[in-house]
Amino acid sequence: MAERTLDGTGATPRSGVGSVVWYGRDISLPDLEGEVDPDAEAERFADAVETARDELEAEREATAERVGEDEAAVFDAHIQFLEDPTIEDAVETSIGDGADAANAVDAAFGEHIEQFEGMDGRMAERADDLRDVRDRLLRLLTDGERVDLGDLPEGSVVLAERLTPSDTAQLDPERVAGFATVTGGRTSHAAIFARSLALPAVVGVGDALETVTDGDEVVVDGDSGQVLVGPDDAEREAAATGAGAAIVERSVETTDGRHVEVAANVGRPAELDPAAERGADGVGLYRTEFLFLDREASPSEDEQYEAVREALDTFPDGRVVVRTLDIGGDKRIPYLDLPEEENPFLGERGIRRSLAPDSDLFATQLRALLRAGADGAGDLAIMFPLVATVEELDAALDALDAAAADLDDRDAAAADPEVGVMIETPSAVFMADELAARVDFLSIGTNDLTQYVMAADRENERVGDLHDPTHPGVLRAIHRTVRAAHAEDAWVGMCGEMAGDPDLTELLVGLGLDELSMSAVTIPEVKTAVSDTEYSTASERADRARLAATRSEVHLTLDS
Amino acid sequence: MTVERTVTIVPEAGLHARPASVFVQAVNDHDAEVSAGRPDGDLVQAASMIAVTSLGVGQGDDIKLVADGPDAEAVLDELERILTTPEAELDDG
Repeated sequence: MAERTLDGTGATPRSGVGSVVWYGRDISLPDLEGEVDPDAEAERFADAVETARDELEAEREATAERVGEDEAAVFDAHIQFLEDPTIEDAVETSIGDGADAANAVDAAFGEHIEQFEGMDGRMAERADDLRDVRDRLLRLLTDGERVDLGDLPEGSVVLAERLTPSDTAQLDPERVAGFATVTGGRTSHAAIFARSLALPAVVGVGDALETVTDGDEVVVDGDSGQVLVGPDDAEREAAATGAGAAIVERSVETTDGRHVEVAANVGRPAELDPAAERGADGVGLYRTEFLFLDREASPSEDEQYEAVREALDTFPDGRVVVRTLDIGGDKRIPYLDLPEEENPFLGERGIRRSLAPDSDLFATQLRALLRAGADGAGDLAIMFPLVATVEELDAALDALDAAAADLDDRDAAAADPEVGVMIETPSAVFMADELAARVDFLSIGTNDLTQYVMAADRENERVGDLHDPTHPGVLRAIHRTVRAAHAEDAWVGMCGEMAGDPDLTELLVGLGLDELSMSAVTIPEVKTAVSDTEYSTASERADRARLAATRSEVHLTLDS
Repeated sequence: MTVERTVTIVPEAGLHARPASVFVQAVNDHDAEVSAGRPDGDLVQAASMIAVTSLGVGQGDDIKLVADGPDAEAVLDELERILTTPEAELDDG
């Protein structure tokens, strides 16, 4: 048993073990006693601002490259605060009154931090930004040694009061075994970041975390939300092996020889390498929305080509399933003039937009995909979202043919990719045989499918119980889709959250899915679960589960 | 030359977050001293992100802008454009 167990909120279903490195609480201000030279202090302040700006610009660049433009934008705000004339004036005044530069900076920021803290949510975030900038300047002015998060010894566990976006962007998952913070919740920036990089993390531990000291050995268990201080051998070993989830590099099959592809859902290029490192066979869902968000105009064909090419080159022996632009519903893009709709989830979204108002955008995207598929190392597959009718699929296939013809006119090489349809609407389930006859694969998007089959908004907590993909209604929809696809020699994948739950792997394999695609973080667990599954048994159990009348009957079957 | 203008704020977020950042950037890109504030209140430095966001002005509020310098007219035109453009359509110019 560990010496102490601290409770927090788990951010990722992973655990890691390592020795503690405390980050960012070593700033102590110089005493105000003694004479200071105002000119020298003013110069020290100016130098600190300049160095801080250089640091911020370098970190901005590194973050844009490693994580994304979106995350990098936070550094712009920091630079603006760093150069804020209000701060500069206040610091100059304090120095003129006899303060040293560090105390002047502390006072100048302190007043505004308090002011912002008292305001609503959005402004409270500004308080965090100001604190970040203040601490950076204070470190430079007090010669405080800052732990370099980008250069930690291997096996470090970072503990901090909180981790800002600029901090987390520097953490190298290769070296850092995990982190834990005093503050923060499951949806805090740090927690989201941990999930996308599959980093063990516990947030919101509270002041008890402060009792842990540098060099202590700890287990960070993101699954249970606990930090174990001084773990025993068994706990240490369990954490190091991630509870049996060693990374499986090879492709996996069931004990009776049925191959199941285990792939990653990828939302932006920075997630490609972590997915490959966690043993993904390929990419089962490459979302292309990142290319279109947070910008003023749609991306060029070349830009889209590069992004898809990067994914194909990351998986030279695998398949990358690229979903064409899927906006509408809860996803909006400023320069695409989406209509105000009474029921956006039942309105113009997914393929519906690509076929009509955004057909030019669609054509550009398809050309970029076909070119990338011809040049990239891996195998390209193209998938259309939210198809409800055969007419829509036919129109999308026509657009794909037209894109190939355009490239031919240009003498540009075009791939001949596998083509598939996402099964997200009840109509697509009922028409799965006709759809499958026209394509190479179907991929079940369980989040939207569950929402539409159960008529329950997944964001609405009042009907949260209904939004459960293990309801027999959803299981029968999945089964029907698989049966229809296999009858047409099409393969079937699943790319919703359900696919990444190792507790459901046996059920999904038993239902006949050929491919499961999920966030990188659970790939090792799911691969292990596939290897432990006997298909013949799983198939019988899946039949019993889908033929159940109620969800509790389904769960009895799964637990037996 | 000192010029003055009062503008009603359109962006949903008021003068917070991104609109404030674009606003301050525009001030810094011009050769003029600009101050801003509520029509009946004290004016603050428009080149300060802290000062501007602290005004706490929201959508539908009036804001008074005073500019002094060679770019005075130009900067007020640009600031008026920023303050009257919905956030979704705002570009960084």
